[in-house]
Amino acid sequence: MAFEFEPSVMIESLPLLMGGAKITVILTVGGLFFGFILGAVAGMMKLSRNFFVRKLAGIYIESIRGTPMLVQAMFLYFGIPMALGIRIPAMVAGIIIISVNSGAYIAEIVRGAVQSINPGQSEAGRSIGLTHFQTMRYVVWPQAFRRMIPPLGNQFIISLKDTSLLMIIGVGELLRTGDEIVAVNFRSFEVYLTCGLVYLAMTLSIAKALKMLEKKMHILGK
Amino acid sequence: MIQIKNLYKSFGDLKVLKGVDLHVKAGQVVVIIGPSGSGKSTVLRCINKLEVPTSGTIIVDGYDIMDPETDINMVRTEATMVFQQFNLFPHMTVLDNVILGPIKVRGTSRPDAMRLGMELLNKVGLADKAGNFPEQLSGGQKQRVAIARSLALQPKAILFDEPTSALDPELVGEVLEVMKKLAREGMTMIVVTHEMGFAREVADRVIFIDQGKIQVDADPETFFATPENPRLMDFIGKVVSHT
Ligand SMILES: Nc1ncnc2c1ncn2[C@@H]1O[C@H](COP(=O)(O)OP(=O)(O)O)[C@@H](O)[C@H]1O
Ligand SMILES: [Mg+2]
Repeated sequence: MAFEFEPSVMIESLPLLMGGAKITVILTVGGLFFGFILGAVAGMMKLSRNFFVRKLAGIYIESIRGTPMLVQAMFLYFGIPMALGIRIPAMVAGIIIISVNSGAYIAEIVRGAVQSINPGQSEAGRSIGLTHFQTMRYVVWPQAFRRMIPPLGNQFIISLKDTSLLMIIGVGELLRTGDEIVAVNFRSFEVYLTCGLVYLAMTLSIAKALKMLEKKMHILGK
Repeated sequence: MIQIKNLYKSFGDLKVLKGVDLHVKAGQVVVIIGPSGSGKSTVLRCINKLEVPTSGTIIVDGYDIMDPETDINMVRTEATMVFQQFNLFPHMTVLDNVILGPIKVRGTSRPDAMRLGMELLNKVGLADKAGNFPEQLSGGQKQRVAIARSLALQPKAILFDEPTSALDPELVGEVLEVMKKLAREGMTMIVVTHEMGFAREVADRVIFIDQGKIQVDADPETFFATPENPRLMDFIGKVVSHT
């Protein structure tokens, strides 16, 4: 029997897929929220004068960036419970994975942005008596943050796509939802196509929002 | 006001300062000249500890900056710095640049700081630019804002590191005018500059630094009239023919 494209399947599966997309968004936003905190801390540690502090951040960043997220997810969700005897809810594990993973990349974004600010800026801050922390807070960070926005937006898109890997630990995100629909109706072509289009709609919206934000930042002065 | 004794500073193997002694009294204007790379900036940057001296003593307003007990942030508010590259904060308005120090360091209330800020901007002739961002200003205006920013802490001294060297020639005058005004009001100033006219007119003392040491320290008349030091003669010859 020849394949027949059935667009109606796409429409029918959409409500369920949108439920999955909602979980995808929660994972991404939650993961990036904590990922940014982690990344900011690790990025600043990377700039520390203390060798051990730098080293510690380096180990975190390298080990996360050097291993597949899929392995990290399976280790956290299946491996750790075996060793410790506690089970983490899949959704929590998912947010942890996205946080820890994006944090390692965000650390490099933060480090790069802070380093790109002319040292004269922090010297000027120190020369009017601001403490190191105040200089960071009022002088360096606001400028560095603007430079972080494009790469952070990029990380947002990457992390959003990465959430699809979490289907392996049973998080009911978009791809997993699609998978479950296919298990019932066997329409893999239409369902996975729709999944892809929903991902695309989300990533394009982020890219668009980012462009607008950058423009606004530009108008506000450098 | 500022006492430097036997100051040594090295960067790795490079010995930049090899025993600098300098005593600046309150209200004095001291101009430092010297060839590029002779350590003029390093002297200034040691005074507010942007660079940590290798050895020696520096006393600012009675505080020994090498003493770990000394609150260096407090010392920095008593001897603020004006940089060659202005280093204004580009993400803040002109007024916010000026009042950041008073608010965050001195704990001045925002309305009081704004009043002080406007007063200082008025003094440097830029009250009408209070709401502008630094990138909208000319170099001379930027440097005048930077001076207002240093003044906002009501310091006892100001350290100027080649404040006019990054400016187009036609903008140098407006900055020197502001500096002359401060000098007349009795501000203690250490000024690294190549502006010999300013040195002659305003300085109480002119200092020539070369090879890591103070080679000449004299009042401007003596300094320029009888430059015995051959390297100084050579240097003055170059600067004058250059400008
Ligand atoms: N942070 C630093 N690290 C290494 N070398 C430096 C540093 N700062 C200054 N130097 C060197 O010290 C010397 C004196 O510099 P500087 O005080 O800036 O001279 P000047 O202001 O008289 O031109 C130069 O050779 C310069 O390259
Ligand atoms: Mg210099």
